[in-house]
Amino acid sequence: MPLLECKGLTRQFGALVAVDAVDMQVEPGEIRAVIGPNGAGKSTLFNLITSVLKPNAGEVVFAGENITGFPVYRVAQKGIARTFQRCHIFPALSARENVRLAAQARNARRAGAIADEALEHLRLTRFADMSADMLSHGDQRLLEVAMAIAQRPRLLMLDEPTQGLSLEETDRAVQILKAMLRAGNLSVLLVEHDMEVVFKLADNITVLHRGRVIADGAPAAVKANAEVRRAYLGGSE
Amino acid sequence: MSWRLRFALVAGVSLLVPFAVPQYSLTVIVAALIFSLFAMSLDLIVGYCRLYSFGHAAAYGLGAYCAALILTHLQLPLPIGIALAVLVTVAIAIPIAWVCTRSTGVSFAMLTLAFAQLGYAMLFRFRDITGGSDGVVGIPRPPGPFGIDWFQGRIGYYYLVLACLLGSYLVCRAIVRSNFGAVLAGIRENEAKTVSLGYNTRAYKITTVVLSYGFGGLAGALYAGFAGYASPELFFWLTSGHVLIMVVVGGAGTLIGPMLGALFFVFLEHQLSQVTDLWPLIFGSIFIAFVMFFPQGILGLLRRRHAAA
Amino acid sequence: MNFASFILAQCLGALSQAAILFFIACGLTLIFGIMRIVNFAHGVIFMLGAYVGYTAALVSGSFVVALIVAPLVVGAIGMAFEWIFLRPLYGRRDGGAYLLLTFGLAVVLSELIRIIWGAQPRSLATPEALLGIVMILDQPFPIYRLFLIGLGLAAGIAVWQFLERTRAGLLIRAVSQNSEMVHALGTDVDLVRTAVFGFGCAMAALGGVLAAPLVTAFLGMGANVVIDAFVIVIIGGMGSFLGSIIGSVLVGFVQVFGAYYFQDLALALMYLLMLVVLVVRPGGLLGKEE
Repeated sequence: MPLLECKGLTRQFGALVAVDAVDMQVEPGEIRAVIGPNGAGKSTLFNLITSVLKPNAGEVVFAGENITGFPVYRVAQKGIARTFQRCHIFPALSARENVRLAAQARNARRAGAIADEALEHLRLTRFADMSADMLSHGDQRLLEVAMAIAQRPRLLMLDEPTQGLSLEETDRAVQILKAMLRAGNLSVLLVEHDMEVVFKLADNITVLHRGRVIADGAPAAVKANAEVRRAYLGGSE
Repeated sequence: MSWRLRFALVAGVSLLVPFAVPQYSLTVIVAALIFSLFAMSLDLIVGYCRLYSFGHAAAYGLGAYCAALILTHLQLPLPIGIALAVLVTVAIAIPIAWVCTRSTGVSFAMLTLAFAQLGYAMLFRFRDITGGSDGVVGIPRPPGPFGIDWFQGRIGYYYLVLACLLGSYLVCRAIVRSNFGAVLAGIRENEAKTVSLGYNTRAYKITTVVLSYGFGGLAGALYAGFAGYASPELFFWLTSGHVLIMVVVGGAGTLIGPMLGALFFVFLEHQLSQVTDLWPLIFGSIFIAFVMFFPQGILGLLRRRHAAA
Repeated sequence: MNFASFILAQCLGALSQAAILFFIACGLTLIFGIMRIVNFAHGVIFMLGAYVGYTAALVSGSFVVALIVAPLVVGAIGMAFEWIFLRPLYGRRDGGAYLLLTFGLAVVLSELIRIIWGAQPRSLATPEALLGIVMILDQPFPIYRLFLIGLGLAAGIAVWQFLERTRAGLLIRAVSQNSEMVHALGTDVDLVRTAVFGFGCAMAALGGVLAAPLVTAFLGMGANVVIDAFVIVIIGGMGSFLGSIIGSVLVGFVQVFGAYYFQDLALALMYLLMLVVLVVRPGGLLGKEE
């Protein structure tokens, strides 16, 4: 049984159909990337899955349960953790406090220990007592990932985790993510623009274009797909 | 110096105060302590959730009038009457909190103001019970339980108020330093993120508002017993205004800051009102100055100076 | 008593109420549109207008003078406040500062009024020319209230046309939509803001002078009015001028018919309306979301 299933998810904003009858599945333990040119509907899809936006049609089924339209906090409680495109953290709190709050939601008793572990994984331990707004942009993004894994999710959703990172920071992030993902028992849904990152990490790729799924499969197949090439040709990548 | 030591010191000193100051000063001090409790109660919402309430007088007025009516008509022992008044205030606060937390920002402020105005209007509507513009006068301090009459005298009442203030402070401090308080910090810093971590932030806000009304109601109830009367002024929007000023000028989000703010204002009022009629104007001006230049409040200034030294 | 004429009288009463509410609400919504802040002091500004009007009428013996002087004086005070206190804060990310500042203004002005005019209400007599009643379908109706309706209508049309057809009005609408762009095109956006803030205060003050003969100038008249104005602006949409007209009419009717049918509970009805509106449409029906 797939861990996450999107069935015919549709979302409109006035006349614009941002997500158009999207079907997608994430298997347990799978790392799936969602790619597509700008405006393809990737972030909207994320918002639909996490219930930040309610779909006009379609369902989101997580671990066999229909979670469509659940309050956002309940979706998180079910075991989905996400990072945001614009990097949401708690700026005035220390790095450890940031992660601890995330851990506390799942396991209040061991929150401190889980937080320290997560900081370790992301190699942020030396910043533990530093105020989060003092961290570099790259480290803030990693902090957000640390918060996400501290929630002990079954599905980790990363929205453009390497955006705004330098080449070196991107490399580092990919290494860390790779090590973490292989070790843990985690499924990952990842929106990414950086194709190198995608091909290094993803088991499978879903390609969105103008709200629709135009390709779905292993990286090599997607790379070779003619329609995918066409979609990207006019655009940003 | 550890916190425990500091607290013990302050508590110890305050126990000795009645013997060190003239009787008249004690009255002013008790008023100051009651306002400190009132201000600290508002800090839970303003400082810890960053929700600005313009209607906190409702908590104060509710506590005062409930206590006034309970003590006058039911003749229950003073501490029990006050406790009962707090319970009633908390019960009424629950639907108010539920409605107000539906919004944030200006809308939240307006909703809290609306409830306070509603309370004010109700006082005049049901003037048979509340005494209308005359209020409830001659509130007794019935003895008991077990025949104790400690609180009927000035010094006894001082200790009652002190105990309530110190006790409330300890409770509030424990709350804000607990896991619950950590969630409030998250709500304050980035509510959307806190929700996405899995917290039902609405429930946390409702709980905090209700707690805030509870402690505010306690302050009001203590006031009723202290002054011996309750008047509609307690519900007036300027009362909400003054306590908000105390919180902001004292230093929101610190529990102690608002208490300092309250002490500052009560003593300032006391000194100034003997000299000039313009003192409320001075309050308002000080408030504006602090909002513009010293948003961290008096406590923030003191801490900065301490850190720099 | 003829039912039709009674209803007509009530409707006219509601419209005259709406006229006064309009003067306050349109200022509030324009200020929000241009500055994205809710001027919490707006109710006290209304109150200040009533008191200044009272004094102006007392000194000059003329209601017309009061109608001119009060908005000018209070508008100037508003502009000074915006220039000195609100402008420096414009960059700050913390929206709470504005709320507190306008609140501080409300407190200061309120105390100032109490110090200058004292605690007793001040009555402003209805001007001679507008005294008396007129018979509408055999129901007596005060001429003054008809005057209010007429003035409100005229003002509404005037401001609407100003916003739609003049260059200055276009500028104001442009700044409401995209202040950065307008600034980039070379306009002094700060000046526009100060002017609109002053205008909004002047309108509210005018409302105060007009209301004074009906309710007298008294302390505390600001607190309820600011809530009414806020409800109107929410109903009509924050920043929508047309919305403030619609909202004023709606609330005027609710208040007048509510007062007749529910009497004492009419006040509660207003708050109920506010609750319902805020719960249903936090962004209003016509305007821009906050």
